[in-house]
Amino acid sequence: MAKELSSYIENWVPENSKVIDFGCGDGSLLKKLINSKNILGYGVEINDKKINECIKKKVPVIKQDIDMGINEFASSNFDFSIMARSIQCLKNPNLALNRMLKLSKRCVVTLPNLGYWKCRFDLLKGRMPVTPDLPLSWFETENIHLCTIKDFEKLCSDEGIKIQDKVFLSGSGKKSLISSLIPNLFATEGVYLLEKE
Amino acid sequence: MKSKSELIKFEEGISLESGDNLSSFELMIETYGDLNDSKTNAVLICHAFSGNHHVAGKNPKGEIGWWDEIVGPNKAIDTNKYFVVCCNNLGGCSGSSGPSSINPTTGKIYGKDFPIVSVKDWVNSQNMLTERLGIPRWLFVVGGSLGGMQALEWSIAYPEKILKAGIFAAAAKSSTQNIAMNEVGRESIRKDPNFNNGDYIELGVKPKNGLKTARMLGHITYLSEENMDLRFGRKFQDSDSKVDGKVDFEVENYLQYKGEKFTENFDANSYILMTKAMDGYDASKNFKNLDEALSSVSSELLIVGFDSDWLYPPERGKEIQLAAMNNNIRSSYITLDGRQGHDSFLFASEKYEEIIQDFVGS
Repeated sequence: MAKELSSYIENWVPENSKVIDFGCGDGSLLKKLINSKNILGYGVEINDKKINECIKKKVPVIKQDIDMGINEFASSNFDFSIMARSIQCLKNPNLALNRMLKLSKRCVVTLPNLGYWKCRFDLLKGRMPVTPDLPLSWFETENIHLCTIKDFEKLCSDEGIKIQDKVFLSGSGKKSLISSLIPNLFATEGVYLLEKE
Repeated sequence: MKSKSELIKFEEGISLESGDNLSSFELMIETYGDLNDSKTNAVLICHAFSGNHHVAGKNPKGEIGWWDEIVGPNKAIDTNKYFVVCCNNLGGCSGSSGPSSINPTTGKIYGKDFPIVSVKDWVNSQNMLTERLGIPRWLFVVGGSLGGMQALEWSIAYPEKILKAGIFAAAAKSSTQNIAMNEVGRESIRKDPNFNNGDYIELGVKPKNGLKTARMLGHITYLSEENMDLRFGRKFQDSDSKVDGKVDFEVENYLQYKGEKFTENFDANSYILMTKAMDGYDASKNFKNLDEALSSVSSELLIVGFDSDWLYPPERGKEIQLAAMNNNIRSSYITLDGRQGHDSFLFASEKYEEIIQDFVGS
């Protein structure tokens, strides 16, 4: 995960909180939060290699397909849940969002923006977008539910989900003036702090 | 590998969960490697139902330890780094006090009079061993199947004496199906004409046929359907290596052979006792639920289940992790695609070894 992205998430996560990270990858974000915010963190991951990396880092991890079971964690009181760059891989992103906000009052979701001008340009040329942020071809990508910044914010408003804070990153993985001004065209990634109304 | 077997006597005896007590008892242990000066590298391995203290390497009889693929120099549980201890559980038949040993108060073989023991009793006796060995705290307590139940019980009963626990192919309690399977095994032993209500050793006989049948059934439950099919299929046993004339298929021959071999070293009363302990285990027995049972736990937990295990399926492990997470216990739950059914926990695979090694070493 880009350093800048994890720093934005870090700012939102309260100290000493209980955090679950869906699609935690190698556990580096949780490790960072354990060190800087003294959180109690659990990662959920399906990839065995990444699971091993978590164990190596002493990051508690649960092998689980996120599509199958966000609800399974409903009995555990989390303060915060995270889903970084995974929501677009799920069968039912809208259900996942609602379930995450049942688990914890607040959650962070980050997602790649299909409205980014390079993606639009690829589509104009009649091809599925392939960009540094979406590097795989249509037949090998796990991203089955890509959307634009506008689409995502519409979904949040339809579902009664309040966007508490948001950050838009540009191609360099950093905030830029232009990506903040016209995010749907110039942001590669949206980073959202969400709360259920 | 530096290893040592030792019979340790506990003159102080032990009170058992059943209310009975043993006025004195012995535990047969095997140790590997050395305890470091700060006494922080001790690993306790708890054996499963038919296992014993001989975990790794070759013993004087030439037998390879039951977890040799995982435990040894430079293996996942590295005996160059860790001081590894395993004891034959109370009620067993590999040197520790059990139904086939002499009752010190009567001078006769215990037989059916050996009291019922439980997972909790084992953990309590292992704790006495811990004190005897001068180990303030285990770095890691680990086991598969019934051994995993002991590791779980350790973290519940002695949270201050265990840093990490490995609970593999196990459950917080035996299922109805587990109990049912075990009862068929026990019944076949009891119905053996040589069983004599448990007092057979003094008559110079053994309920060998009953024990053999019990083990054959057990073996089926330890393997997965896929694994059995891959290993044996519907192949016929070649006539030179048939255990007897009744056998047609390889799988029949295998079960006959395994069953027969088991009766050479295992005591029928111990079989009954061990399966009773397994059936009786329920971590939440004295609590409202599993969440409450785990409220005392402070050790880090690694829970591993195997996809093809239908005896203690992965979901049982997941329940433990969930209860642990509800108690804010640092805990991981991992499923591995072991092909060998319940027995998968015994065999090394790259992912399994890495996870164990990284968990203990991290």
